[in-house]
Amino acid sequence: MQALLVFLAIAALSLLASSRALLDPGRHPALAQLAASGLLFLVFGTLLGPSGVAVLTPVNLESLRPLVALGLGTAGVILGLNLEPRVLRLLPRPIYAAALAHAGTAFFFVAVPLSVPLLIWMDFPPQAAVGAAALLGAAASLSSGHFAVLGHRSGRLERARGLGVALLTMMDDAVGLGVLALALVLGAASSAPEGVALVGLALLLGVLCGALLAFLTYSLKDPAELTTVTLGMVALVGGAAAYLRVSPLLAGVACGATLAVVGGRAVERVSRALGRVERPSYLVLVFLIGCQLHARDWQAWALLPAFVVLRFMGKMLGGKLAQRLTVGLLDLPPRLGHALISQGGLALCLVADFLLLVPGTLSQRIFDVVAVGAVVNEMLAHRAFRQVAPPRAVKGAPASPGTGGEGVAA
Amino acid sequence: MTGSVFRLGLLMVLLAGITQARGLRADAGTPVLLAAGALLLCGLFAGKVAKGMGLPRLTGYLLVGVAVGPYALGFIPGAGVKGLELVKGLAVSLIALVAGTELHLGLLRRVGARVAILCATVCGITFCVCFGTMVALKPVLPFLTPMTMPQAMAVSALVATVVVSFSPTVTIAIVQETSARGSFTEFLMALVIIGDLFVMVAFALAAGLTRASFGGGLDLGALLGGVGWELFGSVGVGALLAIAMLLYMRGVNRELPLFLVGLSFASAEGGARLHLSPLLISLAAGALIANLDEREGARIHQAIQRAGLPVFALFFAAAGAGLKLDALVTVGPAAALLVGLRALAIWLACRRFAPADDARLKRYLWMGLISQAGVTFGLAALVTKTFPSFGPQVEVLIVAMITAHELVGPVLTRRALSASGEIRADEGVESA
Repeated sequence: MQALLVFLAIAALSLLASSRALLDPGRHPALAQLAASGLLFLVFGTLLGPSGVAVLTPVNLESLRPLVALGLGTAGVILGLNLEPRVLRLLPRPIYAAALAHAGTAFFFVAVPLSVPLLIWMDFPPQAAVGAAALLGAAASLSSGHFAVLGHRSGRLERARGLGVALLTMMDDAVGLGVLALALVLGAASSAPEGVALVGLALLLGVLCGALLAFLTYSLKDPAELTTVTLGMVALVGGAAAYLRVSPLLAGVACGATLAVVGGRAVERVSRALGRVERPSYLVLVFLIGCQLHARDWQAWALLPAFVVLRFMGKMLGGKLAQRLTVGLLDLPPRLGHALISQGGLALCLVADFLLLVPGTLSQRIFDVVAVGAVVNEMLAHRAFRQVAPPRAVKGAPASPGTGGEGVAA
Repeated sequence: MTGSVFRLGLLMVLLAGITQARGLRADAGTPVLLAAGALLLCGLFAGKVAKGMGLPRLTGYLLVGVAVGPYALGFIPGAGVKGLELVKGLAVSLIALVAGTELHLGLLRRVGARVAILCATVCGITFCVCFGTMVALKPVLPFLTPMTMPQAMAVSALVATVVVSFSPTVTIAIVQETSARGSFTEFLMALVIIGDLFVMVAFALAAGLTRASFGGGLDLGALLGGVGWELFGSVGVGALLAIAMLLYMRGVNRELPLFLVGLSFASAEGGARLHLSPLLISLAAGALIANLDEREGARIHQAIQRAGLPVFALFFAAAGAGLKLDALVTVGPAAALLVGLRALAIWLACRRFAPADDARLKRYLWMGLISQAGVTFGLAALVTKTFPSFGPQVEVLIVAMITAHELVGPVLTRRALSASGEIRADEGVESA
């Protein structure tokens, strides 16, 4: 029954979110932006979940965990597939340094100050508090490039600048995933060596599944069979990770990255098959993440302004550093930091993955801060991006859902 | 085929590795998604292997499900298979929707009366044979032994009603897979669908009688009301669904396979909650669309074929994984006797009473009526729910029979279609 409820809710929300009236930025700019980014589903999830009108109870959410694992696994595989080794090898070092600069600055701007309240006022054990602050930093370090992509598609931003921003935002994913792995090493097991083994198991599982997916799809010509194998393997990698209680996101990334390396011609076909399910799977995941939110955790609300403000400052400074490091290499827009405010889906995936594996008050609080922070940052990003690319004089068509890279890979 | 066997072998090795790794963790997470992914992948390649061996793909799906399921190799835990109930409902709805689009008024006018008469005859003879066998087995079957004779007769009638049932799901899936077309195929499909309606009514009556024999009283009004609601309510909801589909196809007309999967899912879940028959809902919807707008009916047919492969592979592999092999051991002899006598009764009834104008019906029709799957499973589970004192033992007996029928039935159905000369291609659902 709960699955039916989720389905009906998603279907109703999809219809609502595709309404032209809602998507008209002239009438409801904030709603239009949230609908286009998919984060409107997070808001609705919160309203319908246990913190809101409780259409979905905690017991319902418990039985819907396979859907969360599927969403995380799919997101991971898509992220891994986007890591094109040939392109990454060709990139000059200053670009890596620039990506690290904007991600790292935001990380330290958020992680260091926020470890103080976690340690002192909220009375968590030192190791857990530091780990939690690092995860907040990791979520803050992530930026989404969908504004830049939409900007250059709509002609508001030059193509080279749009792609430059998208490249930098794509590369910060490594920081987030690295910190997640570290947080899981420290938090998901009783000892650090066991934690390392669990993260290693997730990666090994992903590598094996990725290699097997490449082999299984090698000689398949029928599109229906190819789609079936792709969906089956994504479900298997996410499902096996959930069953073994290791990270579905990391396993998915390892699976996608392995496929990208050894897949050859299968990569493009698998990407196309996954592209068909990316948006629905992302929306269901965001909706379920919204349902998990504890809206009445006042301590999380207290941390939220600091998270948003510190991240904003970190991105501004990080943007300046990145610009300096890439002079002559990348044509980045002036005020780059303003283009890096949007947080994107991966930040949500990170904290959802952590909450799935390390349930507890602290991980729930981090989850709440990042989930609400993602919504606030998306609305901030809408305004901030105007500093990078002013809106066109002629009223353009509204950005519709599914037209940009507003999935998790963005 | 060698490539598919090798790929299937690699998948098995991976699943074995995951099972071994599970031993390293003190507590396991939910296995539902693992079950879905594993059954989907194994099902697909097992279907290809089965096809290479000249068997229906469906048999490959079922057998690999049995192999990796909790009762054989144990790569997939029982909780994982149980969690896939939603997929089962979805597949039944999709299959019924396709079947409905085949039910044109012209066909019903042409063969409706003859099919109904033969169906009643086959069901009647099979019921009598199974009923008699059950009563005769009273001293042997542990759940019948302590009952009085009227009670044993009522329970025997209930069991016989379930045992009579056919499998529209398997029949339609095999027809889809083989792209069979022709008068024999039409007759067979119409018969299993009408048989399903007969069984639904008969089961409700038998359940009412059984309840009365155990002192629960016979509320005829409620009984007829329940049957009426299930039949006419399902058709009514199906009509609403058909209107929704037509409006969507004419108004929105985008992502039709996804829309149909979503709607079928909602109808399966919602129908079950409202005590309606999901099969009948989708059947009515498909039939209404096909008769109101033939072009849209054909589009639905094509769209479901596109979305069908993963759903059908998963459905039948999950059905295989859910087969309780241990039940075969405990009630094996009684179940084997009933399976044999049921087949004999169906063969005799078809041989004797099938229309004489088509010799193929007399010779091959019985083979298409052996399968049992979703409907029978559902009725067996309903017996357990309604009669908790003896229901679980009845369910074990019926599930043992279903196990045999699921493994033999698809092969026989395909052979019947092949012998009738109506198989057009070796691909259907899979190639679309």
